[in-house]
Amino acid sequence: MDEGVCSVRFGCCVQRLYPGCIFHVGRSRTALAKYISYQTYIDLKRDNLFEILGTAPNPVLDLGVLGTFDEFGTNPSSVVENGDEIRMYYCGWTRCETVPFNSAIGLARSLDGGNTFTKVGKGGPILSYSPDEPFLLGSPKVKKIEGTWYLWYAAGSKWITNNGRPEPVYKIRMATSADGINWVKANRNLIENKLEEDECQASADVFYFNNSFHMFFSYRYSIGYRFEKDKGYRIGYASSNDLINWSRDDAKAGIDVSEEGWDSEMISYSYVFRLDNELYMIYQGNNFGKTGLGLAILESF
Amino acid sequence: MKWKKLGKIFDPTEYKLVGNCGEFAQSPQTLVFDDFVRIYFSTREKDASGKYLSHISFVDFDKKFKKILNVSTESVIPLGKLGCFDEHGIFPINVLKDDDRILAFTTGWNRRVSVSADASIGLAVSNNDGLTFKKVGDGPVLTSSLNEPFLVGDAFVMKTGNTYHMWYIYGCRWIKDVHESEPQRVYKIVYAKSPDAVNWEKEGRHIISDKLNKDECQALPTVVKYDNIFHMFFCYRHATGFRKNKDRGYRIGYAFSTDMKNWTRNDEACGIDISESGWDSDMVCYPHVFTCDDKLYLLYNGNEFGRLGFGLAELEK
Repeated sequence: MDEGVCSVRFGCCVQRLYPGCIFHVGRSRTALAKYISYQTYIDLKRDNLFEILGTAPNPVLDLGVLGTFDEFGTNPSSVVENGDEIRMYYCGWTRCETVPFNSAIGLARSLDGGNTFTKVGKGGPILSYSPDEPFLLGSPKVKKIEGTWYLWYAAGSKWITNNGRPEPVYKIRMATSADGINWVKANRNLIENKLEEDECQASADVFYFNNSFHMFFSYRYSIGYRFEKDKGYRIGYASSNDLINWSRDDAKAGIDVSEEGWDSEMISYSYVFRLDNELYMIYQGNNFGKTGLGLAILESF
Repeated sequence: MKWKKLGKIFDPTEYKLVGNCGEFAQSPQTLVFDDFVRIYFSTREKDASGKYLSHISFVDFDKKFKKILNVSTESVIPLGKLGCFDEHGIFPINVLKDDDRILAFTTGWNRRVSVSADASIGLAVSNNDGLTFKKVGDGPVLTSSLNEPFLVGDAFVMKTGNTYHMWYIYGCRWIKDVHESEPQRVYKIVYAKSPDAVNWEKEGRHIISDKLNKDECQALPTVVKYDNIFHMFFCYRHATGFRKNKDRGYRIGYAFSTDMKNWTRNDEACGIDISESGWDSDMVCYPHVFTCDDKLYLLYNGNEFGRLGFGLAELEK
């Protein structure tokens, strides 16, 4: 399962990131190790983002109770300030029998400046399945643009079986809302396929710059993506004038895997943010972020 | 209210059913035609892992319920694809005539790991008088939400004017109990409405007050309008120890309403209980109320949650 990055929250002199972290649970000689993922944060020095000031002492959000959609993971997330509260839209994970997992999108809020979050509601998700989104809603990214809340997310369309192992296929979709609570789905795939019909797309990060909307997202092949470098995650790009129709042009993304090192096999789950007149991108590297997060700065547009 | 029991009218073990199904005929629900009544129910087969899969089947009766005219052996609606909400079973199904089409609201089941399963409500349409149904999508039309965390099911739909009304259940919590080997569920009856049967607006209130305790499980609401009042029958039980202990098992409850949303519970008036002996002596559950030739009938399951069939009662009043 893919572990994801993060959103960014600004403090006055601190940049706070909310990445997910993974703990091993129940590992034994014969049993398959299964993961549980948590949401945490790291604080970076604003004028030197490579200086880590601190990390969260505990996960910032509890897992769901028995039987809930987020019982086995709460990651990745998207953090948005909303008046006195900070909202965290996150992907909640549960385990299933015939497929390894399912996921839906939840909402938590912080009233202590983003140190800890509690779930909104009585244990259920804020966005879940519908007739043409049967499972696997994830990698939520939320922005408020001119009074309307936008949620970009990945929605599963099918499971395919590869040598007996189920692999999911998911596409980038969108929903809008007046209050960030009640959502209306657009019910269509936003980004055309490039690699294949079963191309997997996730983590759609949208921002406004130079009179246009820009989306960086992650994409990969549906099979062979774990170990074959050519099939693994890359960062894609699309642009739009109206947030409804998107033109894909991955060549314009301006970032690819490195020749060697921590991000030489795959790059994914990017997040773009503005800080003190510069545009930065945080992203994950090899092994779905097992090796950590990295930073890039926009050189030219 | 007083119901006259007419006895068990269908035993699934006596017929060839769809696939390898050989037992269970649960939650009987009707579609009344001019010359016959089609009773849909959920039956079961075991898959390779030894666990059950619930499939929809039907039996056609004459309008006096004396003669079985047909028992379906073909698939009425397929189970869900890999990973879908109804991959491991459909139980129950509620069928509704809607102008020139027939709608089915299904409860689809999918197996989990930390708890046995989850459920959501799907929609399917028939264009061949209810012989087969095609789903509107691979996903559900009603599922968990902020205040309804899991186990969304048991939809019963009635249309008035241009509005579809749905009474259904949702799971509040799973509980662990020392006397049970697995976690047990608690669920309550709630209401939603829709202009198109696809997009539903949930109301979010528990509409049937608890009688036993806060962990009372309420299921299978069925509603009929009679004498200008809406009457709801449902079943209820304790959350634990209900399988073997007769005193904690399913009974049929009753409530009435003038506006479909605010209900007054009055189980004493329901007029039906377990029998002294026989097929419905341990529990009575999964009620379905309907009118046929100006008479009011109640279909329901008895012992072992309907493993050996369902029975009928007629309103005596």
